[in-house]
Amino acid sequence: MAELHIIGQIVGASGFPQNSLFCKWGVHTGGAWRLLSGLKEGQTQVDIPQTGDMAYWSHPIDVHYATKGLQGWPKLHLQVWHQDSFGRCQLYGYGYCHVPSSPGHHRICCATWRPLGSWQEQLSQMFVGGGPQLRSPDLVYSGADRYRLHTEAMGTVELELGIIMRHFDKYGVES
Amino acid sequence: MADSWNTDTGEAVYRSRDAVKNLKIRVRIERLTSTAALSQHLQQQVLSQQDRGAIELETLTSQGQKGDNEEELVVGWQEKLFSQYEMELFQNESACQTPLDRQYHTEIRALNKARSRRNHRIFTYTDHDRYTSCLPMQQLHPADLLTTTKSGPTFLAERMASVRNRRHERRTLDSSIPKSKIVMWEPTEEFVKSSHVVNNAMQTMHIMADLAPPGRLGQKENEYLLLTIKTDGSGTIIAKPDFNKGKEPYRIVTVGEKREVWRLNVENVCTAMQPEEKEREQNMYKDLYVRHKEYLNSLVGQDFEMPPLGILRYMMNGEIVSAKGFEYDHLYIHFFMELPNNWSSLPFQSHSGVTQTCRARTLGKENVAFFSYPFSFEAFYMSEKESEEPIPQWPVIYFKVLSLDSWHRYRTEGYGYLLYPAMPGKYTITCHTWRPVQTGTVSALRRFFVGGSPELEDPSYVRIPGTFKGDRLSRFGFCTETTGSVTFNLHCIQQARAFVDATMMKKRRQKVFEQLGGFSQQGAVCTILEAFQRARKKMQEARECLPRDLVNTTSHVES
Repeated sequence: MAELHIIGQIVGASGFPQNSLFCKWGVHTGGAWRLLSGLKEGQTQVDIPQTGDMAYWSHPIDVHYATKGLQGWPKLHLQVWHQDSFGRCQLYGYGYCHVPSSPGHHRICCATWRPLGSWQEQLSQMFVGGGPQLRSPDLVYSGADRYRLHTEAMGTVELELGIIMRHFDKYGVES
Repeated sequence: MADSWNTDTGEAVYRSRDAVKNLKIRVRIERLTSTAALSQHLQQQVLSQQDRGAIELETLTSQGQKGDNEEELVVGWQEKLFSQYEMELFQNESACQTPLDRQYHTEIRALNKARSRRNHRIFTYTDHDRYTSCLPMQQLHPADLLTTTKSGPTFLAERMASVRNRRHERRTLDSSIPKSKIVMWEPTEEFVKSSHVVNNAMQTMHIMADLAPPGRLGQKENEYLLLTIKTDGSGTIIAKPDFNKGKEPYRIVTVGEKREVWRLNVENVCTAMQPEEKEREQNMYKDLYVRHKEYLNSLVGQDFEMPPLGILRYMMNGEIVSAKGFEYDHLYIHFFMELPNNWSSLPFQSHSGVTQTCRARTLGKENVAFFSYPFSFEAFYMSEKESEEPIPQWPVIYFKVLSLDSWHRYRTEGYGYLLYPAMPGKYTITCHTWRPVQTGTVSALRRFFVGGSPELEDPSYVRIPGTFKGDRLSRFGFCTETTGSVTFNLHCIQQARAFVDATMMKKRRQKVFEQLGGFSQQGAVCTILEAFQRARKKMQEARECLPRDLVNTTSHVES
């Protein structure tokens, strides 16, 4: 079996309409993967930047997987939420990206999008907030049902991940 | 008469993996009287002149006071030795306030009864004593860091010195964060002192000496600090001043009516570990690590899915990140993979996909739509070996960008293609797109008002049409317009059994070269070996491919 270490951090996010953001993240894998140690999902703190646009979280990611096959390579899913001064939380975007498969240090910018409702919902979203959310975000991993969604582009989340692979070359995997 | 002194009284930091309770220090103080100095000087002179056959002088020593002018003691870690002052103080029961005082009282009584007091002038203050934190700043941190005469230590130095030594707090190493009270909204003064400055919880021990003139021991003013030893729980030991290690002794000058000079020698006399014990300890650690590794291995297992022999598996994990620079909004991308000859894929895998429809936003000067659409695709390449095959053709992704607005007007925005990279790794590829255009205003008007625009019948026309045969591809007369670009993130992995052998062969070849200095003869030997392996493999495969009955009949014939 081969092992994969993902060690890095969610640096922060930028490009969103408002600044005080937090992020829920998780790593999703196929059936052949097994989590040996580390947390595979979590939630960052709320960050309100004083200057500049980027909200910084520096949230650590440290997971160790063992795998029996290449299928189901880990994917990272992110949900960026906004918390306003009244304490209400509002969804600002979903982002999905694959964990890199080549060893080394990677800087990843994951783009996010938010589902769009009808124009009435958009109007109320402008005043009151809220907005449609995915009923179950897991459906969107495979991509089969995505064509039904109508979305709008939001900001980007920046991640730094270091990938360490072990025993992959023993099984003839080149990455 | 001027002896040389060791003036370097700075801290020394030691690191040890052993428990600190095994620490033993030998402290020796010696008063420097004029007679003692003189006698030492004479002794040195005599020793140097001995070979000249001069008469040996009898050295002058004052015998009676010898015991009071020097003392040598081996002190263990946190070993409490009482000073004369403490002995007198704790003898009365009424002076004992805390349980610690009472404990001292009982110890002193026992010492007096047994008359087994080891020390005379030298005594210690351990971590538990309340004097440890009350020692004047002057003694703990002599203000001779700088050459200029400063008024006093800085604010930070004061803060750090006045922090009381805390006991070790065992913090667990795993991520156990207190669930409540993460933020302290009103920090107390104590909290500020202990959190705002660098402060490791240290256990301290002070070795002191009562340097009063003989017969007048037991007064607090004559106590002088000889040596301070601090340790934190993780094996760092700080000794101030450092051990002499055979160099000159330290010098202590008493302050008082009579200024006396004392010599101080400090040595580390811990016994080294026996080799058998060391070996035992090492074996234990090795055992522990091996067991941990085995546990991890048992979790992980040994099997891994490999493609069959002679087949290359190409796994592409990627995502469509964004599209930018297109004319209309509400874009979506429809893409599919195309596999050339010799390539196959799994039966249930979908070869195409459609992203969601995304409304773009302005980023800088352009309108960008974010898709973040991950896809994963696996393809297998079966090589017909031994033919002079050109470079294998890699699969292609053809995609088209379309826009669909709220009026259900549907337009093509662009066509593009992406070739699978030949080498595995991470790629960020931006593909530019174009769309076919019909000259004339009618089609432009139609596109604007109603929607609908010319589409390609065969999407593979973007690259090389599937129906193309010949040498030259001519697109003469085909009108297009440049539209925006689409960004992909690709992570490509290749897997084949041959890679395993290749790495092993590389290793073998390297070894041979290294051993024999890279002679070309050996290189030839290697190629012959390779050829032999290949031929053997071919024969084995051919044997397997033969129909079963043929093999049986031959064996039948033979037998």
